[in-house]
Amino acid sequence: MSRFTLHVRISLWLLLFSLGLSVSGFSQNTSTLTITGEVTTPLDLTLQKLSAFKQVSQKVKDRDGKEHEFKGVALIELLEKAGVTTGSKLRGENLAKYVLIKAADGYEVIYSLAEIDPEFASQVIILAIEKDGQPLPAGEGPFRIITPNDKKPARWIREVRSIKVAFAKD
Amino acid sequence: MRRGFKRTKFRTYPSGWFFTGLMACFFLFCGLTHSFENQKPTPYTLRYPANFGGRYTIPEDNPITKEGVYLGRLLFYEKKLSAGNSISCESCHLQKLAFTDGKALSQGADGSLTTRSAMSLANLLWVRNFFWDGRSPNLEQQAAFPLTNVHEMGQPLTESVAKLRQTALYPPLFKAAFGSDIITRDYILKALAQFERTLISSDSRYDRYLAGTYPPTAQELRGMALFQNAPNPQKLIRGANCEHCHGGVKTFKELFHNNGLDSTFSDNGRQNFTNQVEDKGRFRVPTLRNIMLTAPYMHDGRFQRIEQVLDHYNEHILESATLSSFLRDVSNETNGKKLMLTKSEKTDIISFLSMLTDSAFITNPEFSNPHLTLKSQ
Ligand code: HEC
Ligand code: HEC
Repeated sequence: MSRFTLHVRISLWLLLFSLGLSVSGFSQNTSTLTITGEVTTPLDLTLQKLSAFKQVSQKVKDRDGKEHEFKGVALIELLEKAGVTTGSKLRGENLAKYVLIKAADGYEVIYSLAEIDPEFASQVIILAIEKDGQPLPAGEGPFRIITPNDKKPARWIREVRSIKVAFAKD
Repeated sequence: MRRGFKRTKFRTYPSGWFFTGLMACFFLFCGLTHSFENQKPTPYTLRYPANFGGRYTIPEDNPITKEGVYLGRLLFYEKKLSAGNSISCESCHLQKLAFTDGKALSQGADGSLTTRSAMSLANLLWVRNFFWDGRSPNLEQQAAFPLTNVHEMGQPLTESVAKLRQTALYPPLFKAAFGSDIITRDYILKALAQFERTLISSDSRYDRYLAGTYPPTAQELRGMALFQNAPNPQKLIRGANCEHCHGGVKTFKELFHNNGLDSTFSDNGRQNFTNQVEDKGRFRVPTLRNIMLTAPYMHDGRFQRIEQVLDHYNEHILESATLSSFLRDVSNETNGKKLMLTKSEKTDIISFLSMLTDSAFITNPEFSNPHLTLKSQ
C-alpha cells in the first residue's frame, strides 16, 4: 500500500469518525414528542416539524430567579393541529377533559383542557424549544412547557415526551 | 341390620366416631364441591394508610381475591417453577430482608449471575414501570421475566404449567382462585401478581410519626429535615435534597434519573428500553422503604453500606451528559459544587432512613413461606 492511499484511508476514517461524532452530538434533534388520546390525528413531533408552526415567545422568571426569554409554539396550536376539541367545541362533556404531560424522567403534570384554551385563559402556555436564543439544554429540553401565570414553576415541565388528552372518568 | 345400625350409632363408641366422621366427610365434600363450583373467590381488601393515595391500577381481568393471593404466595415460594426445581422467587427476594437477598448480584438456577441487583418488593401496588429500567408495565407481565430468564429461574412457562399439573396440591387451588383447575401460564402470572400487590409496607416508625403516634428523636427530626430540604446557603437552609427524587409518604416517586454513579456506562439503564440517548445511565428511583435492610445498594449493588451511599451523594457525584440537573451544583455552601454535608449531618440522615424500617412487614406471617406450614400439618 502506497503512502498516499494510506493517507487517504486515514483521512477517510477520520471523516467517518467525526461524522459519527456529530451524529451522536445532534441526536437530541431526533427526540420526538407525541400527542395522543382524545385527538382526531395523533402527532409525532420533532424540532424540525415544530419549526413549521407559528413561533411565539415569552419573557418569564424561571426557578433561578432570573428572567429568560422562552421561544416555541403555543400549546393550543399543537392541540388544534391534533384535532382536540378546543374553541367553540370546548363545552359540555369536553370540559371534563384534561391534558396529561409526561417528561423523560417520568415526571407528570396535568392541565385541564380549558386552562390551555385562550377563550378561557388569559395566558398563552407555550411548548418552548429555545431559551435566550439557544436550544434548551440537556435535562431541560428539547421541549419544555412554560406557563407564565403559574407562580410556582412546578408545572413548567422539562424534557416533555408525551402529551395525552383524556376524559376524567369518575 | 337396623338394630346394628342403631347400635353403631348410639352405643358403640368407636363406630359412632366412624359414623360422625363419615357424615362430616360427606358434608365437607358437599361444601367443598359447592364452594368450588358455585362460589366466586372472596375479594381481598387491601389495607394501607390514606396518605399513600389511591393512584394504582389493578387490571380488570385480575381482581385480588383471598384464594388468588394464597395461591400466589404458594407459587412465590415454589421451586418447581425453576429449572431443576432449584430455586424460587424467594431465593432472591427474602422476606426478612424486605424481599431482597443481601447480594450485589444474585445466582440463578443455572449458577450464573443476574446482571442487576435484586430489588425490594414493597409497595409494588403503586409502581407503574417495573425493574431498574422500568421496562415492564405491570406485575402480570413482570413475573414472566424471572420465571423464564436463564440467569434467574430459567424454565419455560409451559414446563412450569406441566409440573404444577402433576401435583395434587395445585389444581384445586387454581380452581378456587380462577374457577378452572386447568392450570395455565396466565393463571400462574396472575396469582403471583395478586400476592405481590398485597406486599404493603406501611407500619414503619416514619408512618407512625405521620400518623401522630411516634415522637421522633431529635436526631431523626434533623435527618428528616435534611432529607427533605433543598440546600439554600443564602437563606441558611441546610439540606441534602433527597426528597426531590425519593420523596413523598411512600418515599417513592416514579422517576428515572442518572444519579451520578458513573461517567461512562456499562449498563445504559433506561436507554436500553426507550432507545433515547437522553436516557443513558438513567435508572428508576427506588423506594427507600426498609433501606437499612436492603444493602448492597444501587442497580449493581456497588455500595455495601449506607454510609457509602451518603458519601456518594455528598462527594462523588460523577459528571456526564445525562447527570440529573438536580444533582449538579447543589450545595450547602455559596457557589459550592458538592453537597458539603458534615459528618454528623450524614449520620442524621441515616437515622432518618432507619425510621423507614418496618419490622411488621418483614415478620408478617401472611407473606411468609406457606409450604412450611403445609408440611407441618
Ligand atoms: C435469581 C434471582 C431472582 C429470582 C429467582 C427472582 N428475582 Fe425478581 N428480581 C431480581 C433482579 C436481579 C431484579 C432486578 C432486575 C432488573 O431490573 O433488570 C428483580 C426485580 C423484580 C421485581 C421488580 C420490582 C420493582 O420494583 O420494579 C419484581 C416485582 C420481582 N423481581 C418479582 C419476582 C418474582 C415474582 C419472582 C419469582 C417468579 C422473582 N422475582 C424471582 C432477581 C430475582
Ligand atoms: C436526582 C434524583 C435523586 C436524588 C436527589 C437522590 N437520589 Fe438516591 N437514587 C436515585 C436513583 C436514580 C437511584 C438508583 C440509581 C441506580 O441504581 O443506578 C437512587 C438510589 C438510591 C439508594 C439505593 C437504593 C437501593 O435500593 O439500592 C439510596 C439508599 C439512595 N438513593 C439514597 C438517597 C439519599 C440519602 C439522597 C439524598 C442525599 C438521595 N438518594 C438523593 C435518585 C436520586
